[in-house]
Amino acid sequence: MFEFELPDLGEGVAEGEVLAWHVAAGDSVEEDQVLAEVETDKAAVDVPSPVDGVVRELHADVGDIVATGEVLVTIEAGEAPESESSTESVTGSDGEVVETSADETAADGRVFAPPSVRRLARERGVDITAVEGSGPSGRITEADVAAADRAADADDEPAVKSAVRRVATEPMAERRDHTLATPATRRLARELGVDIDAVPTDETRDGEAYVDAAAVRAMAEREAADDEIPDEDVRAVTEQVVSELRETADEVGAEPTPIEASDGDRREPYRGVRRTIGEQMARSRREVPHATHHDMVAVPGLVEARERLQPLAEERGVHLTYTPLLLKCVAAALDDHPILATQLDTESEEIVYRRDRAIGVATATDHGLVVPVVEAVDEKGLLELTAELDDLVSRARSRDIAREEMQGGVFTVTNFGAIGGEYADPVINVPETAILGVGAIKERPIAESGEVTAQPTLTLSLAIDHRVIDGADAARFVTTLKSYLSEPTRLLLD
Amino acid sequence: MVVGDVTTGTEVLVIGGGPGGYVAAIRSAQLGLDTTLVERDAYGGTCLNHGCIPSKALISASDIAHDARNAEELGIFAEPAVDIEAMTEWKDGVVSRLTRGVESLCKSAGVNLVEGTAEFIDEETVRVAHGGEGQGSETVAFEHAIVATGSRPIELPGFEFDGEYILSSREALALETVPDELLVVGAGYIGMELSTVFAKLGADVTVVEMLEDVLPGYEDDVAEVVRERAASLGIDFAFGEAASDWETLDDGRIRVATTDEDDDIAEYHADSCLVAVGREPVTDTLGLENVALEPDANGVLSTDEEARTDLDGVFAVGDVAGEPMLAHTAMAEGEVAAEVAAGEPATLDHQAIPAAVFTDPEIGTVGMTESEAEAAGFAPVVGEMPLRANGRALTLNEREGFVRVVADADTEFLLGAQIVGPEASQLVAEVGLGIELGARLEDVAGTIHTHPTLSEAVHEAATAARGEAIHTG
Ligand SMILES: Cc1cc2nc3c(=O)[nH]c(=O)nc-3n(C[C@H](O)[C@H](O)[C@H](O)COP(=O)(O)OP(=O)(O)OC[C@H]3O[C@@H](n4cnc5c(N)ncnc54)[C@H](O)[C@@H]3O)c2cc1C
Repeated sequence: MFEFELPDLGEGVAEGEVLAWHVAAGDSVEEDQVLAEVETDKAAVDVPSPVDGVVRELHADVGDIVATGEVLVTIEAGEAPESESSTESVTGSDGEVVETSADETAADGRVFAPPSVRRLARERGVDITAVEGSGPSGRITEADVAAADRAADADDEPAVKSAVRRVATEPMAERRDHTLATPATRRLARELGVDIDAVPTDETRDGEAYVDAAAVRAMAEREAADDEIPDEDVRAVTEQVVSELRETADEVGAEPTPIEASDGDRREPYRGVRRTIGEQMARSRREVPHATHHDMVAVPGLVEARERLQPLAEERGVHLTYTPLLLKCVAAALDDHPILATQLDTESEEIVYRRDRAIGVATATDHGLVVPVVEAVDEKGLLELTAELDDLVSRARSRDIAREEMQGGVFTVTNFGAIGGEYADPVINVPETAILGVGAIKERPIAESGEVTAQPTLTLSLAIDHRVIDGADAARFVTTLKSYLSEPTRLLLD
Repeated sequence: MVVGDVTTGTEVLVIGGGPGGYVAAIRSAQLGLDTTLVERDAYGGTCLNHGCIPSKALISASDIAHDARNAEELGIFAEPAVDIEAMTEWKDGVVSRLTRGVESLCKSAGVNLVEGTAEFIDEETVRVAHGGEGQGSETVAFEHAIVATGSRPIELPGFEFDGEYILSSREALALETVPDELLVVGAGYIGMELSTVFAKLGADVTVVEMLEDVLPGYEDDVAEVVRERAASLGIDFAFGEAASDWETLDDGRIRVATTDEDDDIAEYHADSCLVAVGREPVTDTLGLENVALEPDANGVLSTDEEARTDLDGVFAVGDVAGEPMLAHTAMAEGEVAAEVAAGEPATLDHQAIPAAVFTDPEIGTVGMTESEAEAAGFAPVVGEMPLRANGRALTLNEREGFVRVVADADTEFLLGAQIVGPEASQLVAEVGLGIELGARLEDVAGTIHTHPTLSEAVHEAATAARGEAIHTG
């Protein structure tokens, strides 16, 4: 049985409403045949079947909201299941057992398949002697191997699913299957991003839990409060994400690594944003020869500048953080060293020197790392930058950010923080050619003219694409950046 | 460890620079592994220096002389003068062109070439002794070792190779004169190829073979064509006799004694005696006593389908890994070993290995014979095309030989082919490709073959197997 979950329907889409079913239980379906039409916030999309098989159960009615990852339909995979006695129970399918001569021809355990197909089977870990060929006389084709591979995956699915469900029910113990609510309350819940089945309530109507608008709002407020993460936590998460990314990067592109699940383990699907990140990172580590330049800079000047500007910003109702200041310094340093603001066009074999100063700011969110891009950093004042950053980051956290807002950067800044670590080894956001990781601003001993003093300092880890940028460029850029950071008033000179 | 040795490290160490070794090294370097190739003698190994290439060079040269001399039927009357020294020079030129090519291929792939004999010190290091005694050595630590030390001709007891009277194939390929009378012990493919060369160059050749026919391992009707042609070239055969003794005579010639089943003794006089009774894997150069690796009862380093030996991290490819001892097998194994070392999912799952014998006419075989197919559980169907009905064969003045294809009757999948005739070594490639692709008789039959070529005989044999032959009854 293949439990088909509503797939990720696009960046930031968490759920969809079933507009129409194109199949019914008992129908046989082919891979890529449209199963249902589902509407998301962005568009109506057709949901295709991932396998050949027979539809066993539809898990939602027209009008139901289905979350990404929720089971949409159960499909019995395989055209004509020939295991056990199931042949006679294949209702609705053509019922015909596909004749394959694999058994007859495998006289000496021999398979008839071209070398390319045999290699594919090895790569996918498919036992080719067990594959049924659809070619002439049962010759095995690439498609046969791919189908066998998918079928094997589907066979594995129930075990994985049940593991997820077993654990999932625990923290979500209060979550109901059905909730009564007025259409207006449902709409409100959707707007506020609240799972209506998870809203606690004592009220019932006709024996079913009943939720009103007030309960939904209360829930939304609680969730918002939970969402406010102290800076430290963000740093911790970022750091963890960065190191995980590095591991993922090493793994992606390698052989699939099946992991034996034991009872206490929890499985989460590796897809959506998580997988996008993983693939992006793996690609970066695979394609880009990284070199990292580490440095530290004493920044009493920066601290002082912020302290002086802070009250003035408050007057305008803005809380000034270091990030916009940092971005301004970076933009200025990029102007001095344009090789750091490049992209590598491997198709045309050209290095593109970007004129604009759109800078990505890596942001840890609940659903993974996202990198919103702040446009034209060089042209904007600190207040404007602060406002824009706030807006982008909070929308990134609530997944309410468009793909375009995360593209087009010429350089990325990531704040890996300093919980326990001073430096990082950031992964370049291709096709950019450099990324700057910054640690926490904190006091560190600085030796100056024979004396050690405690001064606020900032650690810097600049990773460069060594195909485009040399170590000396990196060092020069960092030196310039340090001069701006230690004395931000220099920004006024240019 | 030898005091004073400089230890270098390498990810892949390849021992032996023959077809198995050099291919493994180049592939390994291509896959980004730091690769070192150690060769003690000459790049290209037996194949390029003392085997396939020099033998084929001499075969072509002797064919030209022979064909020129025997073309009266075609209206050509010639008595070519053969200058053996010039022929040898040309052959050596071909060899050195190819060995230099191998060396530069290795270099441009980034393989680190080391000259010397590699001997295991332990399971992670080898000592490479450069040249002779006192010429220094170095120690190389490796992650993976690919042993490709090849094979050498088997010596019959009492018949030690001396390069003057008792010759191995290596020395026979380097002769400066054509002996008047040559005795050849062994009618396998090397014995038969070289007998043909010397017969065509004017030697009086007698072949002594312990078994009852030439080319053991080949089907009777295949061997027969070659035996009859050889006989017509003036080669004499003595079957059922084993060389047992020899001595030099006063006139500078030798007398070789043979013994048959009944212990009856026969004697042959000759200028020299080529012993070609098979080849044995070379494992005694390797210091195997220092590692937990031993040849099996046949002297072979046995391997699995990933070319791994019993010792972790050590692969064996080519002749040292056993039959079939063929250059192209060595190359295929070398490639797989390198890929496996690099972590790729490679395996030796080839369905059929072709083999060629460059006698007159040639033999090309691939996959199963009819009886092998039966033994494997197939219900085989066979299609045959005699070359006397092939236009191109007749224009080559050739009337002997045939193409036979073997397929599974039910599914029509190609299983094998046996080809005897001109260019059989080339023709067999088509069937080899078909077998690997899982092609069926119909696929071959449905492919247009060029006219007039020998390849039409392959097409015709496939149609014959389907009962649809046009040109044969
Ligand atoms: C006369 C003749 C004709 C042949 N014709 C054909 C033919 O037509 N077609 C065909 O497919 N095959 C033919 N062969 C067989 C073919 O030559 C071999 O199968 C092939 O050379 C095997 O390759 P290999 O790499 O295993 O070993 P080899 O080619 O034997 O190479 C092994 C190399 O390892 C080196 N070596 C050994 N020990 C050490 C050590 N400890 N350290 C460093 N180096 C070492 C040796 O010097 C040698 O160069 C012929 C052979 C002969 C003798």
